Amino acid sequence: MVRSARMASPVVRLRDVTKSYGEGAAKTQVLRGVSFDIEEGELIALVGQSGSGKSTLLNIIGGLDHPDAGEVEVLGLDTMRAGDSKLAQMRNKSIGFVFQAFNLLDHLTVLQNVTLPAAFAKDGRDVDGKGREALRRVGLSDFANRRPGELSGGQKQRVAIARALFGAPKLLLCDEPTGNLDSETGKEVIDFFRELNAKDGVTLLIVTHERRVSSVAKRVIAMRDGMLVETTDQALAAQAGPA
Amino acid sequence: MMPVGKLTRMVAANTLRSPRHFVLSAFGIVIGIATFVMFLASTEQVAAVLEKIFPLEQVTVVAPRASLLGKDISKKLDDGIVQTILKRPEVSAAVPRMSLVFPAFDRGSFEGNDLKFEVGGFSDGVDPTYVQDDERIKALFKDWMSDDKDPHRIACIPPPPDPDEEVIQSPRAPPKGRQTKVPGVPVNDTPEPQKQPSGWDGSIDVHPSSTASVQARQTSTQTRTPGASSIQVGSAAAPAAPPPTGSATGSAMGSAAGAGSAAAIPIPTAAQLDGAPPGIGAPGTSSGTGAPNDPVQVTGKKGEYLNPCPEPDRYYCDDATRRCEHRVPIVMSPTMIELYNGQFAKSHGLPIADTDFVKFLTQRGGLGAMRFSIGLGQTTIAGSNTAIQHRPRRVEGVLVGISTRAMPIGMTMPIQYIQRWNREFMGEEAATTYSSIIVTLKNRNDIAPFGQWLQDKLDLRLEDSLGEKFATALFVIRFALIGISLVIIGISAINIAHNFFMQVTERRRELGLLRAIGATKHDVRMVVLGEAFLIGLIGGLLGILLGMLMARGVDYASAHYVPRFPYKPATWFNFRWWIWTGGLVCAAGFAVLGGYLPARRASTMEPAQALTQN
Repeated sequence: MVRSARMASPVVRLRDVTKSYGEGAAKTQVLRGVSFDIEEGELIALVGQSGSGKSTLLNIIGGLDHPDAGEVEVLGLDTMRAGDSKLAQMRNKSIGFVFQAFNLLDHLTVLQNVTLPAAFAKDGRDVDGKGREALRRVGLSDFANRRPGELSGGQKQRVAIARALFGAPKLLLCDEPTGNLDSETGKEVIDFFRELNAKDGVTLLIVTHERRVSSVAKRVIAMRDGMLVETTDQALAAQAGPA
Repeated sequence: MMPVGKLTRMVAANTLRSPRHFVLSAFGIVIGIATFVMFLASTEQVAAVLEKIFPLEQVTVVAPRASLLGKDISKKLDDGIVQTILKRPEVSAAVPRMSLVFPAFDRGSFEGNDLKFEVGGFSDGVDPTYVQDDERIKALFKDWMSDDKDPHRIACIPPPPDPDEEVIQSPRAPPKGRQTKVPGVPVNDTPEPQKQPSGWDGSIDVHPSSTASVQARQTSTQTRTPGASSIQVGSAAAPAAPPPTGSATGSAMGSAAGAGSAAAIPIPTAAQLDGAPPGIGAPGTSSGTGAPNDPVQVTGKKGEYLNPCPEPDRYYCDDATRRCEHRVPIVMSPTMIELYNGQFAKSHGLPIADTDFVKFLTQRGGLGAMRFSIGLGQTTIAGSNTAIQHRPRRVEGVLVGISTRAMPIGMTMPIQYIQRWNREFMGEEAATTYSSIIVTLKNRNDIAPFGQWLQDKLDLRLEDSLGEKFATALFVIRFALIGISLVIIGISAINIAHNFFMQVTERRRELGLLRAIGATKHDVRMVVLGEAFLIGLIGGLLGILLGMLMARGVDYASAHYVPRFPYKPATWFNFRWWIWTGGLVCAAGFAVLGGYLPARRASTMEPAQALTQN
């Protein structure tokens, strides 16, 4: 805590976050008091088995899900108290999401998919230009007018990344981004993330169960049964670990 | 919150991407709105036609029936009451009607058929200015008896009675060349107007005021000796001609020819005949040859009596006045045409009357063919004419047009005729008692207070209005039809709800994604509602188009396969602006209603779960 206070405020700050689904006998405790910080410019791999609570944690950080208790601060915003509108604005301006299933809209062109976030932004200047720039960054400049159905899995994921980058986010939240890709394509995507982190200083939190992804991360956080069980950052682990 | 322009673009793109979803959702709306606008437009049109037939701001004031020991003691509707009603602030006009209160019997010929019918109780009179439906009626529907400047009213020999017939047919007109002419008055040779349906035969104005004959006829009177066949011309005695205002007593009317005192109006002499006198050329003969004041008479080749009057289509020789008189102008209601077409024409093998009555008449030989005799005081119902104070006599009438203001079943003529006849046959009381008063109100909403006032102050009441009944019936029908179409639209809203619930479930990931990239719950709700709205709007537009198309179809079928009848409109629909606007609003409104719950579900869906599912 002392260390955090001395440094610039973290991009993400979680304290004793708990989350459960269902009620009564069907109640499942997904997060059991998770605490950790993500500093600006970090590339963190969140690993763990299925059902360990990784995706839930990611969604809570992205403001798509609400914890039952604890403190969540993302980019200076107290997401526990912020209204729907503030959270939406944060997702639109400062956070990019990359999903395992790409989540592209098939009835839109590649460019339209990339610029989709602009639909919810008030300023609408040079939307297409920014979209093309995002496509250029992922190497798909020539695919602007294609439909997602015409693309390979790797290309689709790159379009999804371009969409996540459209608003020039400070934080990129990736949920199993290589899960639906073959290893070669997956490697390209991972390399792109590393480059993004190194060159543009984008903070990345990548949920994965692939060793390869975690190997490029500056820090690896492991989860089991809703708790942090391991982190390569020993200081944080000492703080957030089971007391 | 999402900017409106962007929302619109997204909604449009989402709506149009799935034709299947669109058709499934919009189908019900299209059908519902099509029926909705069609029903509304048709009832609107029917209401408009009905209002034309039964003006709602017009009410009929009648005296409640009351009798004591078989004697009618109902309150008397007279001029005093008309004046009292006219003083009411909510009243803009009050027109009295008077029924013929004694028996009468009509005899006419139509298409070679000898038609006889009772008209006592089926005839009434109304102020001529009240019946102004068309130019022809305006010109001909008036009290001709009061027009003492009419040069056609020359002395004549009336037709001889037929011992076998109580009421003889209207005598035939002589051939064109032998018809009596009035000097200075244009002669109408054309049988019936082809291009000018307004007039009798293209020339309505037949009254030049300053002709020699007009001056001449005012200088002498003619008379005849009762029972004698010879004609006397002179000024010794005058028959009791009915004055135009009907002030003569009934007993003086026509019966005691030659015994009367001075007439209220000058009796014309025979016309100055135009050139050769009528009847020249064997074997027809004419009386009064060469004498300017002689009563005219024209006989046919076999010596039969022919109508000696000038313009025989309009004038006949009256038994009582022994002058050429204009036939009593009569109007009938379109209901009569309907009855004729619906029942009479079929059963008697007669032609169907056209809605365009003028056209119909032209085809049947002109208005002249629409003349008939009226046996005043005569009836086929034995013992029903015992109260009359006067010997029956014959006049001639002619149908001059069709008016919605005529009595529905029967015939209507200028009230002066009815007044005169009622006075002649039944006495002064009958000539001053109206059967009803038609009151035009300034505002139809005043009907109830006016009715109340009538009852409280005058002990009179408003007649049950057929128009009001129709309006009520139409209201109920319209209510039911709108109900039906609203049920269809309601079902389509449920259909939309169902489709959208499915859609929202199918599109969970997409909606979750929208949340992930910056959509608020409100944005997501608006996107879904917007799609419902757009489907409603497009469905509504298509529905209106379909409705109009179906209306066209109905109109086409009506024009080609439905026989003509009075009031048959050219179109059965009146798509007023508020109908299609209402249709659109209704379509969009119901669609949004149907989309509301799915939209709410979409907005409250957990995006996290939606996004992570495979």
